[in-house]
Amino acid sequence: MSTRQAQGTTLFTALLVLVGIGVVVQLWLLATSVDALMRHQGGTAVHATIASVIVFTINGLLVLYVFNFDRKIKRDRN
Amino acid sequence: MPEEKDKKQEECLECEKKKKDARWRDDFPVKWDSDNYVTRREMVKFLALGSLTIAGANAVVAGLPHIVKASEMPKTRVALASFIPVGGSTLFSYPTEEDPCICVRQSNGDLVAYSQVCTHLSCAVIHKAEENALFCPCHHGYFSVDRGKPLAGPPTRPLPRIKLEQQGNEIFAVGVEV
Repeated sequence: MSTRQAQGTTLFTALLVLVGIGVVVQLWLLATSVDALMRHQGGTAVHATIASVIVFTINGLLVLYVFNFDRKIKRDRN
Repeated sequence: MPEEKDKKQEECLECEKKKKDARWRDDFPVKWDSDNYVTRREMVKFLALGSLTIAGANAVVAGLPHIVKASEMPKTRVALASFIPVGGSTLFSYPTEEDPCICVRQSNGDLVAYSQVCTHLSCAVIHKAEENALFCPCHHGYFSVDRGKPLAGPPTRPLPRIKLEQQGNEIFAVGVEV
């Protein structure tokens, strides 16, 4: 395994963990939203949604970064 | 002797099966282990999709109160306005007979009405004029008269407010604000 590939593997694992944590945070935000809905506190649900969208954007960017990195490695190999 | 023959025949059948199996494996060289193996890339894709789904679900939850419009509430007569003195209260039911409510005239003369069901454990709240509050005798919860917000005790949510309308000397309940 080349250094670059080893780096990629570490990076991939780290980002996988980060995205996983993001999803757990989003689940917590969803639970908060449902709780706020039951309490008729619409404002809290809106704030939780905004936070959830931000976390999704971060997750999406991380995934895009990973796949770009992947493509780069393949290109280099070829 | 016939037993030996049977054994040989069985062995032959097994051999044929194995041969067939091998041929099948040659045609479709799929290893189950690798087929069931979930790669990190697949996991990341799955998590990203999950993230999108959760964000969408969150948006739906936040938008639900705006999407589902409150159904039309009935118009129910509460009492005669002159019947409730300043600092006094009267009980009525709204929107159904099973929903007890309380109407209070504040010190400034304004009328306010709330559901009588405590938001803690559903006991009936009563008006305490001397403390200018709605009081739940079960667990000593207090709500403000002007907004129905919890002031003390275990309740954390405000009392649902009943919208009132005055026509002449008569007061009508026309909706519920939650």
